[in-house]
Amino acid sequence: MTFGGRARAVVLAAALMPGTAAAAESSTWDVARLMQELAKVKTSKGRFVERRYVGILTTPLESSGTLLYVAPDRLEKRTLSPRVESVLLEGDQLTLESTQPKRRRSIRLEDYPAVGVFVESIRSTLAGDLAALKRLFEIGLEGDERKWRMVLRPTDRNMQELLSEIRVGGRGGTIGTIEFLEPNGDRSTMTITRDPP
Amino acid sequence: MTAAQRWALGAWLALLAASAVIVARTTISTDVSAFLPRSPTPEQQVLVEQLREGVVSRLALIALEGASPAALAQASKAMAAELRKDASFVSVENGDGSGDAADREFLWRHRYLLSSAVDAERFSAAGLRERLEETLRLLDSPAGALVRRIVANDPTGELLHILESLEAQSRPATREGVWFSRDGRRALLLAQTRAPGYDVGAQEGALARIVQAFSRAGTDEVKLLVSGPGVFAARTRVAVRNDALRLSLIATALVAGLLLAVYRSGRLLALGLVPIASGALAGIAAVSLGFGSVHGITLGFGVTLIGEGVDYAIYLFTQAAGGGARHAALERIWPTLRLGVLTSICGFSAMLFSGFTGLAQLGLFSIVGLLVAVAVTRWVLPGMLPSTLAAPIVGAAGPWASAAARRASSLRYPVLILVAAIAVLLAARGERLWNEDLASLSPVPRADQALDEKMRADLGAPDVRFLVVIHAPDQEAALQASEAVGQGLRKASQAGMLEGYESPADFLPSRQTQEARRQALPEPAQLRANLEKAVAGLPFRGKVFEPFLADAAAARSAPPIGRSGMQGTRLALRVDSLLARRADGWAAMLPLRNVADAAGIARYLTAPPGAQAVLLDLKRESEQLYHSYRAQALAYSLLGAAAIGALLLASLRSLRSFFAVTAPLVAAVLVTTGALALAGESLSIFHLVGLLLVVAIGSNYSLLFDRQASSQSDRSRTLVSLLLANATTVIGFGLLALSRVPVLHDIGVTVGLGTVLALVFSAILGRRHDHA
Repeated sequence: MTFGGRARAVVLAAALMPGTAAAAESSTWDVARLMQELAKVKTSKGRFVERRYVGILTTPLESSGTLLYVAPDRLEKRTLSPRVESVLLEGDQLTLESTQPKRRRSIRLEDYPAVGVFVESIRSTLAGDLAALKRLFEIGLEGDERKWRMVLRPTDRNMQELLSEIRVGGRGGTIGTIEFLEPNGDRSTMTITRDPP
Repeated sequence: MTAAQRWALGAWLALLAASAVIVARTTISTDVSAFLPRSPTPEQQVLVEQLREGVVSRLALIALEGASPAALAQASKAMAAELRKDASFVSVENGDGSGDAADREFLWRHRYLLSSAVDAERFSAAGLRERLEETLRLLDSPAGALVRRIVANDPTGELLHILESLEAQSRPATREGVWFSRDGRRALLLAQTRAPGYDVGAQEGALARIVQAFSRAGTDEVKLLVSGPGVFAARTRVAVRNDALRLSLIATALVAGLLLAVYRSGRLLALGLVPIASGALAGIAAVSLGFGSVHGITLGFGVTLIGEGVDYAIYLFTQAAGGGARHAALERIWPTLRLGVLTSICGFSAMLFSGFTGLAQLGLFSIVGLLVAVAVTRWVLPGMLPSTLAAPIVGAAGPWASAAARRASSLRYPVLILVAAIAVLLAARGERLWNEDLASLSPVPRADQALDEKMRADLGAPDVRFLVVIHAPDQEAALQASEAVGQGLRKASQAGMLEGYESPADFLPSRQTQEARRQALPEPAQLRANLEKAVAGLPFRGKVFEPFLADAAAARSAPPIGRSGMQGTRLALRVDSLLARRADGWAAMLPLRNVADAAGIARYLTAPPGAQAVLLDLKRESEQLYHSYRAQALAYSLLGAAAIGALLLASLRSLRSFFAVTAPLVAAVLVTTGALALAGESLSIFHLVGLLLVVAIGSNYSLLFDRQASSQSDRSRTLVSLLLANATTVIGFGLLALSRVPVLHDIGVTVGLGTVLALVFSAILGRRHDHA
């Protein structure tokens, strides 16, 4: 291929991806900009504290551990307290591992669509994949670049029975909180502290 | 016409009439298992029964391929909807979750009777405390979403316990909401027919409905693949019918054309078919009398086996064309012909004693058919011949054939070297010559068997090799024995001897066990007190577990589960496939997963008194079965060969003649076997039968070659008649070699090649008879 041909291909590719092309020029704070910021993060590491509020319990369940993300689709959540447990997402494969009792299980997300939606919401957000999010959710954004909150509402009726909305909050390209709200009032809140890169 | 000929004609007509009456009343069976060995042990009987009519025999595996996953899923859903409306199917599954609700509802409703974890300890205060702490842990785990929904009714986690034990069983992958192969190229469906697998007519109907539903649901790109025992049965019937009929018709047309070209007379052609037609009619009648019914394969294929009958007419015509008195013509070769027929009958007797109903039928058919054919040739046909009979080709080809035969003996040493080399090759291959797979006996084409295996792997259907088979006098005893065996298997599993097992008692526990589990649930007041004690200090809100207390109270008075209560669930199908009524009681089958130490497991097997449990290694069992049948077939073949040898020695009364007659046959058998081995065909019992036929037919050739001819023209007539006879045999069997049905193919290939070699070797290795 000649140099000229390659240049044409690049221009063509840019034109075919309106998201990137348009966002590159956009200076206003919108979902496209947010996604662009998030997509810049290729790897990140942090600690999390998760509180789960369940209707039948008088006190929330608390757990904490570490998170590791490597773009575009590897995510590891390692719970250290109260028990050691890990959930590893690699592509389409989700591996659950617990030490007490010692158990390891791998599933393919394709086989479990309900789990898939939860996982997809996190993975697509981390990867800044707007198209993937739009397939499953109606997206809203509040705030500005320094402090924003994105709200994801599932569009699928079956999913709406399991999940009413997901709220992701953060600053620039860094995610600080993720909240899952269920229709029955149960909810969970995860606070993430990013390790310095 | 002489008086003797009139008597013969009368007897012949009477035989034909009697045969026709019997044949008219004959039922034709298409039972595929006629070509499976008769099973000697009770365990194998269970297997063959399952193959014939069990749930396994009713499954149709359906795959759709050739289009995008979305298009395939669309077609899968449309097909399933169509077939579910059809009364010929008990169930149609495609992974769209349509049956899940009924299954879950059944498991949920009966969780306290089904969960193997239920015992008195679990519902004591301490037991409940332990369960509630576990529940707290689960609420904060990936399973939390499910647990939160059911915890108020099921805080002890019985449903999860049941689901976990079922989860271990493999399932197909899901894509676009339906089952797919792992590589995503095929959408998969599983249909169960109402009719048993051996009801080939109904299976053929079901197959047609599947094709019809597909044509309504699929688009042009989507391709349909169907497999399964019933489908095989239906297809085999069609294939055998088509192959046998089509190939027989083509062979008949070709042979008729050949004879017409030689004798230039339509009347002679018709007369040439009289012996074989009479033989076939009498053969069918004999099989019908002897076996009660005639198998489709016997019908289609038997006529080819007695194709030798056409040879008799050829020998007669060719001799008669030489001029002179009609019967004098036949008198010349009659002693040789008679010996040839007796030789063939010795060969076919081996089939008569084989363990396969199908082969035994073919044996009886051939013996009766040949006897009648040769008798008709000898006593009836000469009286019907036209006064003038010419075969110009004899004059034209005679000298050429004689010259070729004279030169042939110069090849004697090269042939002997070839035979010796092949004998060494065969001896070196030894056991490896033989096909070790019982599947080689199946009438199902190998390509279809391979497709079936692939689709089973796609569906994640476990590769059932090890199976515990339980016999018990009644259903309850069978289930109790399944539970006892299950306990032993769990211990063996903890010892690492196997990964797991499936049992009918997983879904349908014995009454005894159900009663014990019900007794394990405390009285409502007691349970409430235990729960209050257990929940103290845990962060559960008050009154949360009222639904649990109500459900447990209801379970204490609920009627036990029976098979009828499972109707409409897919679990019912599972139970039916693992638990079956037999002629003398009930049989339960427990398939094992990933067996590491079969001998070790056998030590853990104990059945309650009155029941027996046997660990079956299907692979070894079927191999042994096959080995014993092969040994049997080989023994009968050798006996047949020995009988042929004794007969020839007694009739020829000359060692020299004996060697001249048998050497070409031995050489033909060896070289044919060697050629098959070199071509990569592994030998089955059917090849062995083919070799027997080579000896039977080939002995006619070598006998006629060895006969001291009265003149040079007699000699060349004999040679031409042999060429003609061999050509008809090669046409008949060579066409069978084209069949996709293994039994037809194997015999066709062997006989087609072997008889040509027998003729050639007769010329090369036979004694020289010169009439200069």
